[in-house]
Amino acid sequence: MSVVHEFTKGFYKQNPVFKQALGLCPTLAVSNSVESALGMGAAATFVLLCSNFIISLIRKIVPAKIRIPIYIVVIATFVTIVDLAMAGFLPALHKTLGIFVPLIVVNCIILGRAEAYAGKNNVGLSIVDGLGMGLGFTCALLLLGAIREFLGNGSLLGIPILSANFEPVLIMILPPGAFLTIGFVLGFFNWLENRRAK
Amino acid sequence: MDKKYFVSSSPHVFANDSIPKIMYTVVLALVPAGIGAIYYFGPRALWIILIAIVSAVATEALLQKLMKRSLTAWDGSAILTGLLLAYNVAPSVPLWMPAVGSFFAIAVGKMVFGGLGYNPMNPALLGRAFLLASWPTHMTIFTDAVPRGGTVSGIDMMTNATPLNVLKSAQGILANPQQFTPEQTREAGEAIGKLYDSLDKLFMGQIGGCIGETSVILLLIGAAYLMYKRYIGWKVPFTFIGTVALLSWIFGGTEGLFTGNPIFHILSGGLILGAFYMATDMVTSPVTFRGRLYFGIGCGMITFVIRRIGGYPEGVSYSILLMNLLTPLLDRWTRPKVFGGRKKNE
Amino acid sequence: MNDILKLGGLLMLITVIAATALAGIYNVTKPRIEAQKALELERALTVALPDAPQEAIFPVQQNDKVAYYIGYKTPDKQDTVGYAFVARGSGYSSVIETMVGVDSAGQILGIKVLSQVETPGLGTKVEEVKYGEQDPWFTRQFLNKSADQLAVDKDGGDIQSITGATISSRALTNSVVQGYQKLLKDNLTQK
Repeated sequence: MSVVHEFTKGFYKQNPVFKQALGLCPTLAVSNSVESALGMGAAATFVLLCSNFIISLIRKIVPAKIRIPIYIVVIATFVTIVDLAMAGFLPALHKTLGIFVPLIVVNCIILGRAEAYAGKNNVGLSIVDGLGMGLGFTCALLLLGAIREFLGNGSLLGIPILSANFEPVLIMILPPGAFLTIGFVLGFFNWLENRRAK
Repeated sequence: MDKKYFVSSSPHVFANDSIPKIMYTVVLALVPAGIGAIYYFGPRALWIILIAIVSAVATEALLQKLMKRSLTAWDGSAILTGLLLAYNVAPSVPLWMPAVGSFFAIAVGKMVFGGLGYNPMNPALLGRAFLLASWPTHMTIFTDAVPRGGTVSGIDMMTNATPLNVLKSAQGILANPQQFTPEQTREAGEAIGKLYDSLDKLFMGQIGGCIGETSVILLLIGAAYLMYKRYIGWKVPFTFIGTVALLSWIFGGTEGLFTGNPIFHILSGGLILGAFYMATDMVTSPVTFRGRLYFGIGCGMITFVIRRIGGYPEGVSYSILLMNLLTPLLDRWTRPKVFGGRKKNE
Repeated sequence: MNDILKLGGLLMLITVIAATALAGIYNVTKPRIEAQKALELERALTVALPDAPQEAIFPVQQNDKVAYYIGYKTPDKQDTVGYAFVARGSGYSSVIETMVGVDSAGQILGIKVLSQVETPGLGTKVEEVKYGEQDPWFTRQFLNKSADQLAVDKDGGDIQSITGATISSRALTNSVVQGYQKLLKDNLTQK
């Protein structure tokens, strides 16, 4: 179990969105532009990092019977911190991400990592795992956000890329576009995997 | 036909129909409406139809090649999808739109699920829904395509000039009279009166609307032929149209219950096109007797709800798409008892 | 029984720690969040009443609520520049809130959309700033027009509505008219 492997597995091999299909609700909801994808990714990564750290720290004193409520309390604390900090320092981003920041609490990636990894491994590895998974989640959001913003708005990060004659495919930044995009991207990754297996 | 000694499981029914035969017959039945569209809206309608068909067939051929399937792009189903898609767009759309719509209809509506027979929803309608969500301005503006001979007199100046659009905005004004000037309220009332007086134009097709949905008479000619050939049944279209008529008679008026105009609601929008040609699609509608009745009633109810209180003036396409998704359930609920089979509780 | 007490105690301990940490964070961020909200209001008021300096705009309270704002040329309440009010109209999928500034004759001095959740790509264009421009093009049309005579083109007015988003355009426009009429009423009772 090398540290490098623990870090990189989140990007492709065990990518939370594309391989584990976790956290799909926020993925679908906030991937309509690169900017909100980045904001959501950063917030989730921060929460994941902190919760993995704390949970691996206290893993020996947490009784198995009440581990889930304790994990949730820890996660909810960090989410509230992110929410308050964002409202105070990045009000514009807070407005666009809106309801989805509090919902990080129930993002299954975070509880999933706490349960599957941080509760069993030491502090150092858990931090690396949290960072890797968080960045993997961010990358997945960015990929979807870039595709959707490019097609649905003709821009990336709010800067127009395509000429003014391009008529944006509005559906891509509406909810159905999220399902279409994630369906095709998931299909693509499965196709890659199948080809590799052959 | 004398060498067909197949050994197969039941049902041992042999019909002389093949997929291409049925598909091309439906295409043929749609031709009169197409000719009517070209007459009313000019050669642009023809271009849109051709582009949609070419794009649909090309997409299907390309994807079948990529998926290493046998090439069946010429079995007529892709042509029918392209044709129906073209019938479902406004005559003034840019010419790239039918191409993109057909591509989406075939690629996402059909081939992704495994090709003809596996698609849960009507591909042409899915293509239309995609276009409507993506480029709503092109899909909902009908003023740039005034039919030959002018549209329904007196209401030409409204920018969204389909009869259902006019009805919706007029009813919107009448529902909240305090927000508008008395003059506007009066005009709204007059507009509704004019609409109800021009049922003959609605019947002939001299109104604004999507390419293939306007001419009721031409669509009915094709539908009668298909019914004669028994390629479409009576259950879905008649329950569909009947439900819309009943509901619009009861709830469709502005002066209380039972003041609506059912004939107007039957003749306007895409109801005839949808009920006879798209809700009856063999792949995406139920096969059982009761299933078909429920399917038609469901389509009619959703259509009317969208027309009366929804955000869009027309709801035929969404109603069919939604009921398509219910089709497997309807078939399951209405499965007939096996003859001689046991009762459930025995 | 003993077990439950032990587990419960531990859980309580953890929640107490979490709550304490949160209380601390809340106290640190509270002034900032409030400052952000005040700043947002201030910015909107500056757009609505461009000729009144920030410190010369005063809220007018009615029934313990801010009914509207009055802007003066100078902080000592000399020379009224105009009035600002919040207009609310039900759009296609949300309530569109705008801050509107008018002079004493009812001419619109400035307008800014405060919040809306309309359909992306259609209704959201009420706030759209075209690339390379400074202010949203839709609300720019309102400037220097009489607040009680606004109407979108489809209702016979001269506000060009957003293509494909008539409902949002009309909601915003009509809400400004209604907000202005309410302002007139409030202003009369005040005097």
